[in-house]
Amino acid sequence: MPDIKRRTFLTAAMAGSIAAASGALPAHARKSIVHDIGIRRFKFVPRELDVRVGDVVRWTNFDLSPHTATADDGGFDTGTLEQGQSGSIEITGSTSRTYFCAFHPHMKAKLNVS
Amino acid sequence: MKHLTIAFLALSMLVSAPALAQDPAALNDLEIAHVAYTADNIDIRYAHLALALTDSPEVRKFAETMISDHEAVNAAALKLLDKLGASAQDNFLSQTLNTNAEAIINDLAARRGADFDRAYAANELAYHKAVNNLVEATFIPNIENAEVKALFKQGLEIFRVHEGHAEMMVKAVQ
Repeated sequence: MPDIKRRTFLTAAMAGSIAAASGALPAHARKSIVHDIGIRRFKFVPRELDVRVGDVVRWTNFDLSPHTATADDGGFDTGTLEQGQSGSIEITGSTSRTYFCAFHPHMKAKLNVS
Repeated sequence: MKHLTIAFLALSMLVSAPALAQDPAALNDLEIAHVAYTADNIDIRYAHLALALTDSPEVRKFAETMISDHEAVNAAALKLLDKLGASAQDNFLSQTLNTNAEAIINDLAARRGADFDRAYAANELAYHKAVNNLVEATFIPNIENAEVKALFKQGLEIFRVHEGHAEMMVKAVQ
């Protein structure tokens, strides 16, 4: 079973605002966490996930159908994930991101980034 | 209204089993696998035709999904058959499906623009409804091999999603 096939990164507009604010720890001072999201039976599980800048989100497709995790605004895209494949992004900016499967647009989910 | 004729053809040829000389419920697992493989390939052919003829982003996206999903199901079916050391067996229903598909493809290929989009969408909805009903009511209850049955249940789940997607496409291209 292939592991991480693609690694894309949330770029963007949001990159500058990392924790320079008073008293906040910079993102690099906190160990990043890898969050797993399963794609099962045409659903992202969990459908909503709280993540922080520096964390990694990894999607794994358990369905027979190919899927993607594609940001609504185009900010990230895992590309096609066949059954058993995974794709990851690193969170580099703070904003909430909604995303969907490009093949099955009714599949929607959200990352709450802080 | 011509597209409704196509949809009706697709539907009636599949669901009116009594009209067939032979009974789909009497097919064995390997014959059922052949029917499913044939049905998948037919929908892939419809999708390639759509990609060649339509400019509608919604229809193109749907067609691309049909190709990727049906190819994935077929790949899984071939892998399972290989594991079981078996081959799918051609049969009357696969042949009927192919014959009907030729007529439908000929009809669709003569259409352009919104007329094509409406006909393709209507056919996809009718086709998925018909195949899903056949799989759910006739094939799954009659499949003997547990792994084959499990694959058909997975396939049905995917094709129900397609049916819902096709319903939305029919409304969108009205």
